[in-house]
Amino acid sequence: MSSLSTLTPTALLNQIEKPQLDLGIVALTDSAPIIMAQQMGLFAKWGLDVQLHMQNSWATLRDKLHTEKLDAVQMLAPMPMASSMGLLGPAFPLLTAFNLSMNGNAITLSQPLMHEIKTLNHGNMPALPLNATWLADIIQQRNHSLSDKPLTFAVVYPYSCHHYQLRDWLESAGIDVERDVNIVIIPPTQMTKALADNTIDGFCVGAPWNTKAVRDGIGCTVITSCDIWNESPEKVLAVTQTWQCANPNTFLALIAALQEACEWLAFPPNRFETAICMSQPEYLNEKLENVAPALLDSCLTSLDNSPREISAYLRFYTHQANYPTLAQGHALLVDMQRAGQIPQSLSDLQLKQWVERIYRPDLYQQMRQIQQQAASM
Amino acid sequence: MSQLSQSVPVLNVLIIDDNSARVAAVQNALTGTAYNIQHLASTKSSLLKEVESSNADIIILDMESPSRDTIESLSVISNYNPKPVVMFSTQDNPALLQESISAGVSSYIAGQIDPKRVKFILDVAVARFNEFQELKQELRDTKEKLSSRKWVDQAKALLIEKQGITEQEAYTAIRKMAMENGEKMEVVAKNLVSMAKLLAGGR
Repeated sequence: MSSLSTLTPTALLNQIEKPQLDLGIVALTDSAPIIMAQQMGLFAKWGLDVQLHMQNSWATLRDKLHTEKLDAVQMLAPMPMASSMGLLGPAFPLLTAFNLSMNGNAITLSQPLMHEIKTLNHGNMPALPLNATWLADIIQQRNHSLSDKPLTFAVVYPYSCHHYQLRDWLESAGIDVERDVNIVIIPPTQMTKALADNTIDGFCVGAPWNTKAVRDGIGCTVITSCDIWNESPEKVLAVTQTWQCANPNTFLALIAALQEACEWLAFPPNRFETAICMSQPEYLNEKLENVAPALLDSCLTSLDNSPREISAYLRFYTHQANYPTLAQGHALLVDMQRAGQIPQSLSDLQLKQWVERIYRPDLYQQMRQIQQQAASM
Repeated sequence: MSQLSQSVPVLNVLIIDDNSARVAAVQNALTGTAYNIQHLASTKSSLLKEVESSNADIIILDMESPSRDTIESLSVISNYNPKPVVMFSTQDNPALLQESISAGVSSYIAGQIDPKRVKFILDVAVARFNEFQELKQELRDTKEKLSSRKWVDQAKALLIEKQGITEQEAYTAIRKMAMENGEKMEVVAKNLVSMAKLLAGGR
């Protein structure tokens, strides 16, 4: 590793093991670093010829990474843990050395549920971010009248920050997630439809789906992930450990290109350009007015209520956002354990050992050193 | 493989797919086997409810379907009884298929529908799935034990606070109540906690 850290940018570019890369993404607003890196030719600058492959589901993206149909992928932050620990099948050891984005999720409730809450509040809109005790009250009412079905919430994937943020919010009001509510998995593209036809009462998703629900008049965004958690990695770049061993320089070049895209995204005027690009049919295929707000730190709440300004609603670079710390990985494993997804018998020490295998801040630091040399040349 | 299928009773197969030619091919391939086909198109918005209320033993869907996460996670997140899932894949890559099949939980049917292979893949998918379920059951048992302890701990804390007794006395009291009523300690503890909440006037 020490020999690598002295690698010059020129040497790195001359020693790319695999210049042609297949990169998998699920099109969301926080795919911006990958999409903008491609748009601006940053991968090419680092000697890489990258093909982006849009995936319709996280499960298929994961399978294609495991079986090396894809070289690298954008993943929900808890997914490398789930793969490495074999939570849905045999274990495939993955690693991450780069946070693509922080924050960006929010919880939206259906119009009928909002109406119930307003009725409890004498016809007024309660204060936002919404205190989950309003839901605890509704759950208690429904328990008394046995005919009502339990509240149902959707998230996009079981191993996702959306899922743990939703649980934390509900539990903050003493709601027993296992007993009092239903949590289901629905693909992001079908979320707003499910909310509109009352299949679900609310969801926790990333941009642009909350904004879309508000603009379509079918939901009210009541709280953001920034209100529930104080900063957390949301999407990470993941590869298999075997792939990184075989292609160490390619991996560093890849995260160097992404680092430059993230830095570019930190400049506010570039956010609007990003929104225009992301709204195109080949990416999000959504109206600009649905894509832009979250990128500009604005959380629409409902059609008859003013938007909330959320500082760093989507963080791509500032506050060392891209540096993956062991503490972040550990916090995610604790969330997974609390949600009953990994055995309670795993000790804190064992969790830390898992994180050390999956989270590689050392590789991030190597990339930064090479990048700094490139900047001073 | 014929031995394996003979030992299995009739299994209901739910196909979630818009490609009617492909559905027909699978149907033909499985005629006269232990697999009984039900069909459901993937575009239905109430997919989740229909899958939950169906009595499917095995689910087939396209690898590229956006509903994959929904189907896969039924077993992780809800109380829904987990099922083996098999996927159509347009990629006829033997290495990928080999690895996915040995990987267990999800299996793939590649490219053209070869009647012999469909049945073989379903057989393997069911067998692998059963193995994996046994592993998962161990995790679930641990989780249940913990949830029960959580309730007992809460009830103990309540008794200690309200009755001014020691932890050991609180534990003995809950245990005694459970034995007298012929109920689990967890149930007694839950009742104690909800009763206290009720008396305290709400939450």
